[in-house]
Amino acid sequence: MAKQLNPNDVLLEVKDLKKHFVSRHGLFGQHTTRVQAVDGVSFKILRGETLGLVGESGCGKSTTGRTIIRLYDVTSGEVIFDGVDISKVSQGEMRQYRKKIQMIFQDPYASLNSRMTVGDIIGEPIDIHNIAKGEERQKIIWNLLERVGLSKEHANRYPHEFSGGQRQRIGIARALAVNPDFIICDEPISALDVSIQAQVVNMLEDLQKELGLTYLFIAHDLSMVKHISDRIGVMYLGKLVELANSDELYDNPNHPYSQALLSAIPIPDPDATKHGQRIVLEGDVPSPINPPSGCRFRTRCKYVMDVCKEVEPEFIEISPNHFSACHLNTVNK
Amino acid sequence: MSEQTINKALWENIPKENKDAEVISRPSMTYWQDAWRRLKKNKLSMLGLLFIFFMVMTAIIGPYVISHDYSTQQLQLANIPPKIDIYKVDDATYIYMHSEYKLFNVTADGLLSDKIKETENDLTNRKRVYNIDGNEVVLDYSYASKKVEENPDGVKFKLFMNGEEMKVYDSVHNKSYVLGTDGLGRDMLARVIYGARISLLIAFIATVVNFFIGVLYGGVSGYFGGRVDNLMMRIVDIINVIPLLLYVILLSVIIGSGLKSIIIALGSVYWVSMARIVRGQVLSLKEQEYVLAARTLGASSMRIMIRHLIPNAMGPIIVSMTMLIPSAIFTEAFLSFIGLGVNAPLASWGTLANDALGGLRSYPYQLFYPSLAISVTMLAFNFLGDGLRDALDPRLRK
Repeated sequence: MAKQLNPNDVLLEVKDLKKHFVSRHGLFGQHTTRVQAVDGVSFKILRGETLGLVGESGCGKSTTGRTIIRLYDVTSGEVIFDGVDISKVSQGEMRQYRKKIQMIFQDPYASLNSRMTVGDIIGEPIDIHNIAKGEERQKIIWNLLERVGLSKEHANRYPHEFSGGQRQRIGIARALAVNPDFIICDEPISALDVSIQAQVVNMLEDLQKELGLTYLFIAHDLSMVKHISDRIGVMYLGKLVELANSDELYDNPNHPYSQALLSAIPIPDPDATKHGQRIVLEGDVPSPINPPSGCRFRTRCKYVMDVCKEVEPEFIEISPNHFSACHLNTVNK
Repeated sequence: MSEQTINKALWENIPKENKDAEVISRPSMTYWQDAWRRLKKNKLSMLGLLFIFFMVMTAIIGPYVISHDYSTQQLQLANIPPKIDIYKVDDATYIYMHSEYKLFNVTADGLLSDKIKETENDLTNRKRVYNIDGNEVVLDYSYASKKVEENPDGVKFKLFMNGEEMKVYDSVHNKSYVLGTDGLGRDMLARVIYGARISLLIAFIATVVNFFIGVLYGGVSGYFGGRVDNLMMRIVDIINVIPLLLYVILLSVIIGSGLKSIIIALGSVYWVSMARIVRGQVLSLKEQEYVLAARTLGASSMRIMIRHLIPNAMGPIIVSMTMLIPSAIFTEAFLSFIGLGVNAPLASWGTLANDALGGLRSYPYQLFYPSLAISVTMLAFNFLGDGLRDALDPRLRK
């Protein structure tokens, strides 16, 4: 992937983003439970870049995406989009940024309203932002449908008449309707079968080339993430544990969790599997309501040391553009 | 093995027409067309729907078609049943003997004309003498008070013409009043049809009011959730625990009993169940990804509510509305029955049933027809509601 990226042209910067869900119970809500879904995540995305975000279920990847687009209110931290901190603007002011940031959802069956025609679904952002009316609106819808490989006859159909892959493409067309700069792809291919996954991923890549889009690509399918991403961040229990260029991460995973995650990728070569070792993690992910002290991964880490329990490891640059949060990097030196 | 030459062109992939892959050949079917297709398969529901249609049409045009008015009293022709026993005087003259010992002129096929005036009324011997076309007809109703030994057959009266006992000539349908008349000589058919108007009107208004208040209230409560939801649902709980009867009695005291107070009472209390259903639906639907998608697009709460949440909750809303109609009809009938309903001469099925109570042993038909109307209508709505639930249930949707 020979993309020309300007390292100074940062489109989105996330600084120490936190999203805690507080639930109240008891008669007067006197007891509170705090779920630390995202707890201090920082990263930058350059214009035209694709940042992959991986991690197991419940680690806060989707919450990170949804918090960036303000589906959830930010608990603390900053989300700087194109130089403006959008984490604190009002919902009314947020409207203009909604034209620039869009989202593609995981479940193509749930993300389209089954009572609306495909034309109306794609036309909804056009109506909301008063982009066009009447014939012009129709033309935009047809263009978008053709852009995602469907035909204009499909505009009068209902979502349930389409296959999963087609529906996901309708979702992409809807996101493209406002001409966004940045698209958050929230596991857009997890619900699709493998042949369709490639189709959708290739389309996302083509669209990126044509329209100069920037992606935050959230997924748990590591091979697919490696294929599409320039850089990859690994999340564990609400925190970013490692962030590196995709090739670097796959060749030299630094964090024990990344190593375990990558060892789980099946390799289509019987010899390689014999020699390679599969790191199996013991135990379950601890609850984000009451995360472990110090390093959050320490309960399942085979290199666990005393320091891991007391001190939270810092997210440091261990080699150029390769960040990791593990005490192994500092203690041994 | 001889070498065979295989044409390389055979190994070429068959070019796939890109367009063909995306064509959908199935005819386009909206949610409602699909639901209607499934509803049509349910025979009982269609029967119910047909009956409701028939009932509504009857209620609308019936009063203009039938010859009698619902409020015109014919006191002489009171309490005449739908089936009458007639006696023959001569070939052109037939009489009907009413159980209140009154004689009426009637034709052979059951068309009533007028009451015959007696020429002599002997109260001591319990005899009435009539002169019909020169024949002396004597009605002896002393048998009713005779002892069993003297009256072994248990008859209550005997009719004699010129000294000879008359036998029942025929039992014919009442042509003048198909369903008979009530205690004030009003046509039962006209009153039952008119009752359908009142009952269906109340059901319709109650349902429309429920729909608007319930959907709005439940929608707001479910959409905003949290503290707003908590507060709004507690108000619903409070309204729900006040017995409807108490409510109607209080309203009747303030604005007087009648159509208005029943409609206000039903309208102000019945939306509670609708609000709960809509709230539950909205609560689950608002977490759906298409709602999140609309929010990321910057859609307003109003737009999300109208375009996304309510259309998707429409199935359960319609089912609960169809189930609510029979309940409203029954409540109205019940309130009218205990005397809190519409005022005379207006008739609803409940007041008709109530009016019939006094003469129940003598004239059971007066209770039978309004009760039948109530039961069959409720049954029809329930059948339709069941069918709609099956047809609109997304879990059964394939």
